[in-house]
Amino acid sequence: MVLDLTMSMAILALMGALATIAGCLEDLESDVGSQSNPNSQVQLAPQMGFLHRIYNKAISGEPISNGMSAVIGGTVTTVLLSQKFYPLTAIVIGAFIAAIILGIFATTSFAGRVASQTRFKQPLYMDIMRYTTPSIIAHNFIMNFCLVAIAYIQFEILGYPFTIPFLALIWGISVGAIGSSVGDVHYGGEREFQNREFGCGLNTALSGRIVRKAESGLRNSIDNVWFCAKYGGPATGIALGLTVFFSSWPTTIFGYTWKAIGVGVLIVAVLTIMNRLVELNVRHAYGPYKEEKNETEAKA
Amino acid sequence: MVAIDPALLTNILLIGLSGTLICLAVHFIPVGGAPAAMAQATGIGTGTVELAAGSGLVGLITASYMYAYEPLADIPLVMAAGAMGSMVMLASTMFAGSLIYAYGVAVPFASAQVKKDPITGDRQDTYISKGTQGQGLPTICYVSGVVGAALGGAGGGLIYFVLMDLYKPYLALTSAFAVAGVFTMGVMYVNSVIPSYGVGGTIEGIHDPKFRRVVGKDVITSFFVSILCGLLAVLIAGGMSV
Repeated sequence: MVLDLTMSMAILALMGALATIAGCLEDLESDVGSQSNPNSQVQLAPQMGFLHRIYNKAISGEPISNGMSAVIGGTVTTVLLSQKFYPLTAIVIGAFIAAIILGIFATTSFAGRVASQTRFKQPLYMDIMRYTTPSIIAHNFIMNFCLVAIAYIQFEILGYPFTIPFLALIWGISVGAIGSSVGDVHYGGEREFQNREFGCGLNTALSGRIVRKAESGLRNSIDNVWFCAKYGGPATGIALGLTVFFSSWPTTIFGYTWKAIGVGVLIVAVLTIMNRLVELNVRHAYGPYKEEKNETEAKA
Repeated sequence: MVAIDPALLTNILLIGLSGTLICLAVHFIPVGGAPAAMAQATGIGTGTVELAAGSGLVGLITASYMYAYEPLADIPLVMAAGAMGSMVMLASTMFAGSLIYAYGVAVPFASAQVKKDPITGDRQDTYISKGTQGQGLPTICYVSGVVGAALGGAGGGLIYFVLMDLYKPYLALTSAFAVAGVFTMGVMYVNSVIPSYGVGGTIEGIHDPKFRRVVGKDVITSFFVSILCGLLAVLIAGGMSV
């Protein structure tokens, strides 16, 4: 341990807060740009005859594109730090350059994807590109800032063995994996298909039939991020915040011992029990879709 | 050139074993791919590689920190630190995912592969929404995922430990950390991709019939590929010594 206990806990709390913001903003960036698995439906819609005004970037899988952003931010920050820049300035400039590069990828990806759908008559809306790309860059900037700041704290203050770019890369990949697993379900499972009955999974027959009308006018990606910011984004933030906080908390308190590992396992056990409670709650609240016919028939 | 001695062969074998452990781990993690992201299938709504690598890398951070700051850390402790980091990441992710399935999409959790949850005994088939292959994360999937993360994190920790021992004599300590870290990440990716072919992109976990069908073949493939990775790791060390 490099710092005393109080300072370590303060640093850990700061990292947890940064991670929560990073997780939230990462998911919202993937919603406003439409990336990862739910984008398969946005891509499919024109082929089913449903033309839309949703941004369609999907540069790559979420973990890889976020890893790329974060590692660019981390690398630029490291270079600036070596030139004696003030750390906060270095992190901000690094995050900004990485966000601009992601913006370039987003623009070319959107244009390329829509161009490939010419035969389905999907237009490339220039106003969508103008309004949405800066929003993608802004979301990505905040995520980069938070992740590079976490990497900086881990390397410079806590003395982690890996360098800032490598730590940023790892956290970028992790936040992408979490955003893709958590927040995207809110976008893909709910927001894209609000035209079906609430409270059921997506029937395969509905694939590609995404909602195209908004509360007012035609729906675009800014409408989607407005909706997902209410639940999907914060839930992703909580997941990354918990990951960053609880992966370091046991060793901060109990040192590098088997006891710390035991505490880590205990945290996982508590999360498992909480998942079971959620499962029981929803089973009780929503009930089965079908009657339990088999058993009653067997008894009769 | 590095002389071939039994210790070196043991290192290669350990890298092979740890790669195999990561490959085995991926089979335990309930990945539903794109269908799960639309609540069309049971599991976590992302790909095998993304999730396995994502959780394994958090394990790598905790394992490397343990290795760097506990001079007496032996192989089991570093492996356990890796397992803990991975477990915490996947458990948090699955829990937050469950919150979305439960209160954002409003679907009860159900597995399409078993009639009753082997752990809780809850009926599953009646809770599957029409036209889907199950949805959410029932307890068996959650527990299977946690076990998988533990195996993956432990495997990552083991590779890192072996590589650090291999590179420390040849490199400055900070460079050794970096090379070992990047190589561990590479081995993790290689061994996350191999099971993707076997499971065809989605698997529900240990209770999925697919698990028994493909795990043997995948593990053997992974062992040989990881041995090759181990061999490369040693050859790199040879280059460093010149």
